[in-house]
Amino acid sequence: MKGNVIKYERDNIDTDVIIPGQYLKIHDYVELASHAMEGLDPNFHSKVKEGDFILSGRNFGCGSSREHAPIALAHSGIKAVLALSFARIFYRNAVDGAFLLPIEIEMDAYTNISEGDEIDIDVSNNTIKNLSKNQTYKMKPFSKIIGEIIKSGGLFKYKLN
Amino acid sequence: MGKTLFEKIWDTHLVVEKNDGPSLIYIDRHLIHEVTSPQAFDGLRINNRRVRRPDLTIATMDHNVPTNDRSLPILDQTSAIQIQALEKNCSDFGIQLFDISSPNQGIVHVIGPQLGITLPGTTIVCGDSHTSTHGAFGTLAFGIGTSEVEHVLASQTLWLDKPKPFEIKVEGKRKDTHAVTAKDIILSIIKKIGTAGGMGTVIEYRGDGISDLSMEQRMTICNMSIEAGARAGLIAPDEKTFDYLRGRKYTPKNYETLVDYWKENLKTDKDAKFEKNFILHIDNIAPQVSWGTNPGMTCDVTESIPSPEDFSKGDHNQKKGAEKALEYMDLKPGIPITEIKIDRVFIGSCTNARLEDLIEASRIIKGRKVSPHVRAMVVPGSQMVKKQAEELGIDKIFTNANFEWRESGCSMCLGMNPDILSPGERCASTSNRNFEGRQGTGGRTHLVSPVMAAAAAIEGHFVDVRKWM
Repeated sequence: MKGNVIKYERDNIDTDVIIPGQYLKIHDYVELASHAMEGLDPNFHSKVKEGDFILSGRNFGCGSSREHAPIALAHSGIKAVLALSFARIFYRNAVDGAFLLPIEIEMDAYTNISEGDEIDIDVSNNTIKNLSKNQTYKMKPFSKIIGEIIKSGGLFKYKLN
Repeated sequence: MGKTLFEKIWDTHLVVEKNDGPSLIYIDRHLIHEVTSPQAFDGLRINNRRVRRPDLTIATMDHNVPTNDRSLPILDQTSAIQIQALEKNCSDFGIQLFDISSPNQGIVHVIGPQLGITLPGTTIVCGDSHTSTHGAFGTLAFGIGTSEVEHVLASQTLWLDKPKPFEIKVEGKRKDTHAVTAKDIILSIIKKIGTAGGMGTVIEYRGDGISDLSMEQRMTICNMSIEAGARAGLIAPDEKTFDYLRGRKYTPKNYETLVDYWKENLKTDKDAKFEKNFILHIDNIAPQVSWGTNPGMTCDVTESIPSPEDFSKGDHNQKKGAEKALEYMDLKPGIPITEIKIDRVFIGSCTNARLEDLIEASRIIKGRKVSPHVRAMVVPGSQMVKKQAEELGIDKIFTNANFEWRESGCSMCLGMNPDILSPGERCASTSNRNFEGRQGTGGRTHLVSPVMAAAAAIEGHFVDVRKWM
């Protein structure tokens, strides 16, 4: 899975900046996505491309249980969020609907990957290749069941299979 | 080896136990509201499923309801549509709904305990992260996303990785229990362990500093467990818990038998082991005021705004986070907290809008007036709280001081109803999150207790409320 990185060099990116409360009434996911990250980066919508990744620090997605957060990112084109750690509700929400991959990374990936770098995420080998800088980093492997849920396309599809 | 309270509740709710992944647990009560449930009901319809236990599912509307005159129509069309959708979904699937005109309407985490829906030793979920509030009753309660809401509606169960038990001991006696509150205890904890300090855990709050608290104060503590990154917070039930729930609308008929069982079973064994431990001594803690953009960025009211340099011992992100927070909050290092002027005061939310919160705040403002440049509002946590307060004449104390006295709802906690801050406005708020834009785009939130908010409303800036006692 290849894509370019949008980097937010900070911890505690909360669900209120990922999708501010006033937009939780929107049911159209395309419209919802047009407000993604608005609380933190008003330019996000104009710069994000299909297949991009977000890279950030610790406790990504802390705060509210709104599933709108991973949905808004996914419908903006974001395929994975790479972070030093995730708030658990965001992590579960991302996986449950198979909206995007929440990938836990180590400090070397966090420090060395820059905004705009093209990276290649290899989930089966738990590696991240930085194609722009010719570096390779390890990612934390998904637990077996998380991998299976994502592969199946979400919690409901997994249980039905 | 003995078991923790959390492990005991977990074990009694296991449907399928797996050691190499999530286990399936039974859900005793499912609370729903208008914002995180519509897509879940759509999912049921698409797949031709029914709600497995409508009798264990309870709904109310709280997040986007206006808090002004209830006889007026809801002007925001998208809010009106969500509210109508909940009415239709509850009617189609046979779910009890406390709607906008019900005397039992209120913030879902306020009405659950008030109605006796929240019971010790049970599991409660809701599509809202502050479901942790119910843990004050020895209930395993946590927030879930909308896909999980659908899963619980369809199956009354949930797949969950077993969290780790985390003991937080609160020891000692507060010097002035009216000025230093449960809110100051939980903010002190989050300040020390950080916003991710409880990640992957269920916190059990223990110690004399906790058992001394009333049920409503315990709810304030458990409410903000999520702000420490924990899945849930728990407090073992005791006589205060049993007294609180006795005789409420939905308290079970065989209540005393249940109390006997709870007394016997709902406590952590002496030889149980916690994965993590933390101790907070509260003898000398001061009222807390948040200065930044997450609840861990908090200091004593007697302190000054910290410098980002103070955080340079941590890593780069902590220092940068503090810089960004101060920029957003428009604050400079070194300014005493008591010199920060405020524009708005919000006494409300699932953290601090129960009867006791309103009584305590009213003691501060009695016979005084809100500072002329401040707009202050009180939003009771439920219509029942509002009615009880009005019976005590508390509404008059607030309105005489020029506070607005409003109808119940989530209101200005989360900026998705008409109660919002304007860009740049600064608010002393009794809510739970000071995230950027949380109370409205560009709004600046300082988290405080109800008495600190009340005193700030009178003076127009923060004050050490201990001096008013």
